[in-house]
Amino acid sequence: MYEVPWGLPVIAYFFLAGLGAGAVSVSGSVLLRKGGFGSSRFAIARCGALIGPLPVMLGTFLIVFELGQPFRALNLFHLINLSPMSIGSWFLNIFIILSVLYAMTFMLPSAAPGDRLAPIRRGLAWVCVPLGIGVAIYTAVMLGAMPARPLWNSPILAALFVLSALSSGVASIILAGVFFRRKSSDPAIRNDYENSTYLLITSDAVLLGGELMVVFLFLLFGQLTIGDVRYAMDTILPGGQLALPFWGLVVVVGLLIPFFIEIFQMAPKLLHGRKFRSHVPLEIISPVAILIGGFALRYTLVIAGQISAPAAL
Amino acid sequence: MTKEDKHETTRRNFVQKIIAGAGVSTVAAATYGLSSKATTPDASERRAKQYAMLIDTRKCIGCHTCSVACKAEFDVPLGVTRSWVEYTEKGTYPNVSRNFLPRLCNHCRHPQCVDVCPTGATYKREQDGIVVVDSGQCIGCKYCIQACPYDARFLNPVTGVADKCDFCIHRVSKGLVPSCVNSCIGGARIFGDISDPTSEISRLVETNPVTVLRPGKGTEPQVYYIGADHSDEHENKRGWYDVRVTTHRKEKGRR
Ligand code: SF4
Ligand code: SF4
Ligand code: SF4
Repeated sequence: MYEVPWGLPVIAYFFLAGLGAGAVSVSGSVLLRKGGFGSSRFAIARCGALIGPLPVMLGTFLIVFELGQPFRALNLFHLINLSPMSIGSWFLNIFIILSVLYAMTFMLPSAAPGDRLAPIRRGLAWVCVPLGIGVAIYTAVMLGAMPARPLWNSPILAALFVLSALSSGVASIILAGVFFRRKSSDPAIRNDYENSTYLLITSDAVLLGGELMVVFLFLLFGQLTIGDVRYAMDTILPGGQLALPFWGLVVVVGLLIPFFIEIFQMAPKLLHGRKFRSHVPLEIISPVAILIGGFALRYTLVIAGQISAPAAL
Repeated sequence: MTKEDKHETTRRNFVQKIIAGAGVSTVAAATYGLSSKATTPDASERRAKQYAMLIDTRKCIGCHTCSVACKAEFDVPLGVTRSWVEYTEKGTYPNVSRNFLPRLCNHCRHPQCVDVCPTGATYKREQDGIVVVDSGQCIGCKYCIQACPYDARFLNPVTGVADKCDFCIHRVSKGLVPSCVNSCIGGARIFGDISDPTSEISRLVETNPVTVLRPGKGTEPQVYYIGADHSDEHENKRGWYDVRVTTHRKEKGRR
């Protein structure tokens, strides 16, 4: 058995940072998007902006204390070099500061689309979207940079992590919507709510579809190749040590189940032009499944990468 | 470090500035990759000191004296190792063999541990090619431990920073050989400057069939072996002969 230098705190950080960065990026892009869906867009943007910074900060706290020398963490900022961890730390640092500022522009109860802070909010959104994607991607680039870890040594990991981060971000916004929206009998508000849920669910289905394709390609290329990568892939292919969490939690629970639930929810409007009906139990099940899958994805890949090694000495 | 490497270094610094200025990391990384390939050094430029080790496994008796000497030299904490000796047992009675493979940091010419270190704590010394960890800078992020294809590194449980063989800098800078070389019972370990054609190590590398570990990883190890058995437990999958590797480390699996 091999030692696993990066354990649960790092895995939890990858998941939390992805989720938070995803939520902020989704919020920013929804805010900046032109046309359609009216004021419901602002509600989504607000939700994502308020959710985002917390998990990122919590995750950052976890990895700092996972360091062998936590009190030296600031040494990371004495210089910048080509190490993905160095570049990523700068991204993370700037992202935390700006995403907190971005969240603050939504905090006043009077915050509304055209208020005094609107230009600042839009400006911050323009910066936070790419930064959030950077934070979500760098974790995978960091893993992918090493020939010593054949399972990770692939650019496709970056695509996988960023799609999963965005999808976890959307899931957390849907979930927050279910719990924190004020119930109202006013048809205009209800309509708004249904609109925003529809917008979120359709975007999420696209993200999940993309993620399924990337997972498929990742496995396909692992299966087609020979040598180090093929040996490493054995840990997650059927029969491998991590096959069960990978296929069960990542593929079935995290991708297939929510994907089909979302397709089922949006099909009536998409295909037959019927009115979209929000359905609360489904809006709890599919985001929770996505979040479980997002964590399981980090868990299985981070562990599998470390318990496999290059084949030939 | 050779002139070629120095060029690379300046180029790298330049690229780092670009990143700091514009944050266009991907473009910069691509440029760096392209431009470093464009350099073709000629033989005269290659002369820069690179300490290296040659281990003649035919003379090794698997006694672990090197590992014990290394432990004593550096007070290496329990459970972690800068130097270790693996046993590779192969075959089915009566056709069997047991070979010894002493291991340590390879002081690679292209050390990936250096590439990934975010703080600059790990670097390759220009004056002698030794790869070192600055224990005053290292934050213990363990990235280098992941990146080394030889598992040569560990997190020192006492200091909380990355640690590994440093070719006994404190000895070799005073003209002595490393502790493991000094203590080797079989005289299996030869240490010296491989860039100096008159050195014993150069002569032996030139006149013997030598191998390095995992050459495919592109690290260009500077620990050479004569007669090393590269058999690995992966080969058991074929079902033709048995291979058993004993690492004599806390981690039973070899990588
Ligand atoms: S053997 Fe590992 S630790 Fe030593 S220089 Fe090479 S990559 Fe770095
Ligand atoms: S553990 Fe220390 S030497 Fe290794 S990469 Fe991190 S900061 Fe650098
Ligand atoms: S050169 Fe020194 S530090 Fe390295 S293995 Fe030998 S005794 Fe240990």
